[in-house]
Amino acid sequence: MQAFRPMRFVPTALLALSLLASTAASARTLDTGYGAVEIDGQPERVVTLYEGALDAALAAGVQPLAAVTTRGADGVASYIQDQAGDLAIVGVVREINLEAVVAQRPDLILASPQLPREQYQLLSRIAPTVVPKTQTLGPDTWKEEARLFAQALDREQEIEDAIAAVEQRAAKLAETVEQNFAEDKTTYLVRWMPQGALIMSSQLFSTGLLSAAGFGVQDGDLVKAGRPHSDPLSLENLSQVDGDWLFLATLNEDGRKALEAAKQSPAFARLNVVEQERVVPVDGQLWTSASGPIAAQAILDQLESVIERYESTAEGR
Amino acid sequence: MLLTTAALAAFCVLSLLLGAGDTAPMDALAALFGRGSEEATFVVHSLRAPRTLTGLIVGIALGCSGALLQAVARNPLAEPGLLGVSAGSAFAVALALLLGASAATLRVGVAQLGALAGCLCVLAAARLRGVGDDPVRLVLAGAALSGLLIALTSLLLLVDQRAADEIRFWVIGSVAGRNLEDLWAILPSLLLAVALVLIIARPLAALALGERVAVGLGHKPWLVRLLTVLAVALLVGAATAVAGPVAFVGLVVPFAARALAGPDIRRTLWLCLPLGPMMVIGADIVARLLVQPSEMPLGVLTALLGAPVLVMVVRARRLPSL
Amino acid sequence: MSAHIERIAKLASPPGSAVTAPPGLWLLRLGSDRALLVDKRALLAALALCSCLLAASVLSLCLGSVALTPAQVLPALIGKGDAMAIFVVQELRLARVAAGILTGAAFAVAGCLMQTLARNRLATPGIIGIDNGATAFAVASVVGIGVSIAPPALALVGAATATALAFGLAGGAGTRGYRFIVAGIGVGAIFGAGTQFMLARVAIDVANAAYPWTVGSLNARSGSAVATLAAGLAVGMTGALALSRALNVLRFSDSVALGLGIRVKACRYAALALAVLLSALAVAVAGPVGLVGLMGPEIARHLSSRRGVPIVSSALAGALVMVLADLAGRLILAPVEVPVGIITAVVGGPYLLWILIRKPAVA
Repeated sequence: MQAFRPMRFVPTALLALSLLASTAASARTLDTGYGAVEIDGQPERVVTLYEGALDAALAAGVQPLAAVTTRGADGVASYIQDQAGDLAIVGVVREINLEAVVAQRPDLILASPQLPREQYQLLSRIAPTVVPKTQTLGPDTWKEEARLFAQALDREQEIEDAIAAVEQRAAKLAETVEQNFAEDKTTYLVRWMPQGALIMSSQLFSTGLLSAAGFGVQDGDLVKAGRPHSDPLSLENLSQVDGDWLFLATLNEDGRKALEAAKQSPAFARLNVVEQERVVPVDGQLWTSASGPIAAQAILDQLESVIERYESTAEGR
Repeated sequence: MLLTTAALAAFCVLSLLLGAGDTAPMDALAALFGRGSEEATFVVHSLRAPRTLTGLIVGIALGCSGALLQAVARNPLAEPGLLGVSAGSAFAVALALLLGASAATLRVGVAQLGALAGCLCVLAAARLRGVGDDPVRLVLAGAALSGLLIALTSLLLLVDQRAADEIRFWVIGSVAGRNLEDLWAILPSLLLAVALVLIIARPLAALALGERVAVGLGHKPWLVRLLTVLAVALLVGAATAVAGPVAFVGLVVPFAARALAGPDIRRTLWLCLPLGPMMVIGADIVARLLVQPSEMPLGVLTALLGAPVLVMVVRARRLPSL
Repeated sequence: MSAHIERIAKLASPPGSAVTAPPGLWLLRLGSDRALLVDKRALLAALALCSCLLAASVLSLCLGSVALTPAQVLPALIGKGDAMAIFVVQELRLARVAAGILTGAAFAVAGCLMQTLARNRLATPGIIGIDNGATAFAVASVVGIGVSIAPPALALVGAATATALAFGLAGGAGTRGYRFIVAGIGVGAIFGAGTQFMLARVAIDVANAAYPWTVGSLNARSGSAVATLAAGLAVGMTGALALSRALNVLRFSDSVALGLGIRVKACRYAALALAVLLSALAVAVAGPVGLVGLMGPEIARHLSSRRGVPIVSSALAGALVMVLADLAGRLILAPVEVPVGIITAVVGGPYLLWILIRKPAVA
């Protein structure tokens, strides 16, 4: 295990290792949040108990048998429904139905970094259970998690390709943004509530992608380190998030309605960014709950269409 | 009375001058007289003024409903929050959210219905069994009901995560960001409640002297009680609809009013008018200043203020019966 | 059972002479000069509850997302048969049933003690701040404020803190524990507000992780907390049974109790301490499961005679309610599990309303 650890941070070494692994699926030791986990061969019956794990597994070309629901829905998140197809549901993130997991007779379980120890102890007796170590927020933790899951699935090359694809596409978008909006790319991601706004940290999966795609994501020093979002910001201070772009994460899919609701507040309506109509409602399911290569592509899809839409207005100016 | 009204006026002015934002008190003062910067004028007129007005109305509604409820239950501990009235509103709102409303567009009626149901349940229990002589029983009934309603709210939240996400901000009570339209929406029910209070104030005072005295004076005790409960439900429902559940105002304010005014319910009610808003607005000012640039939820502060008063009431050598 | 047993120290009459039991009681001779009076109805009720509990436990072992027949469960219990069946029965369900029985019994006995003390059937530990204190601390642990002690341990600390606060603020138990109860409700309100505040400040995912601690659940609970509860329940039951005679008398007025030579104050404090201990330990395992402390004693009282404080039947009834509620929660929305606290609230709610409206609130 000690020998493997440094390699996780050295891409070339990792690449070499994964090439080796893909030629002959060998026994490997994973460095997980609950210690070392031994996995042998290529798992065939995979159960994912975390949205990021489902995403990573599908991106690596593995079809999991079962997953947990995304929040606010009866099934998996809508962005991934097509790829996921028809899989069994084994509970919600906060209450995993252990028996339903057993019933799937899995040979690998991929779980969330927040999995409680009691549940881990039981799950790990059903099948090798992989829990990422990531306890802190960071724009790139999803890559780390995806690589760990890929190692468990013995599909490291596929995940490296998927991550590289995301990075390349984001870099390309960043060029477009730089060309069109070089002077005005200060961006905030907020959740709106009648008594104020929650400012999302710039260290999240989605805000990290925004940064990678060239938007200058800020959190106005309002978010304490390690916290995903700020306390509800006083309406009097709303001008602190008055940047060039405002991404408005909604809870349901009807973003237009959420925007209308926010505009009811005079403090919101008078923001410069609102008057400029540069408020972009985005699906909270995808932007504040999901992670992984497929989710990243979905977010980049949305960013691309936003950029296209505003490109023409920028040229016209 | 004059003194408290003056104090309330001072609180209102402070509430207009102080805030979590960068607008300095002097700027705000200038804005009040129409000479401030554009920013300050906006903050004072569009943010702090509605907020103060909301605090004023919520304070009056909660303070008076506490006084009324305590008079009709003859129990100094009868407080809308403790008796499950607020929990009833919260449950109704959660149900409404589940059925597709959003917190921003929520209308008053739902919360009022919930408040009425909660209120009736507890008072029916208390009245039917004549436990008016034992203050704690009523509180126990209320606490049990509150517990039940909170659990039922959790059930709804299990079913719907979107509601869960909205309601966790709603359940702690706040007067920030309320539109004047929200206040318009509760105006009819407030006026109705005021009319009711005017009608029942005198019989209620007679009832405080004992059932026989009231009957002797030509009042119908059951009718008085029914109307009082209705007024309380209207007031609490209205307050909860705009501000969410704000705990303990209905306990602290009548307690202070009685200490100042003596036992007459009419004088107590008059005093509740300035004292209720004083507590809400005062707590709201503190809520704004404590954790700038964010704000504390109002409900947390009133709970911190109210619980010691609750203990004081109970620790008084003899529980005063009203 | 001894709650319903009146001991006759030495029979006055010589052995063999006819001592007849009062109606509704059985005379149980123990040797030549000792005898026990056993309350018929209480004994029958306890036996009935016992068999129901056994049946419910077996059902709970059989049913679930993996359905097993009793013929598969029994070998699995002793470690034979299909590996999956063994795992499901031994690791998942048995632990869960045990946790359910223990917490249910603890909640119900605590409720029974508190109700007797306050002479009010609504006075259960759940509403006097113990639950709220435990929840607040457990949630604080989950959302990561302060030190990273495991939630069950911190829940115990929270329950103790809430009790100590309520007790200190009330300045003693007061008549019938009333002052303590009201102070507890106040303390509970503060902790409740604190919990809400914490939940509003963290991300929804973390709030989700804290969710089982706000409603009460038996899903994968800490084994060490269950073990602690088992030990605590043994102590608590013994204490409660030892107190049961005095509590029988305390149901009436204090002067009667004093006249019968009972140290009223000491007895009251002891009962309160036991109630707090039991509910604190139970909350540390399952979180705040509402209304079991109300329903358990209530069912027990319906079944047994009104002659005594039904401690044993309360424990059995509480355990039964808990096991059945957990089973229902696992089956209703399968594969999604409904936490046991929600089931007890939904079932107990109408019951509570019925008590509030139909019956005098005097226990």
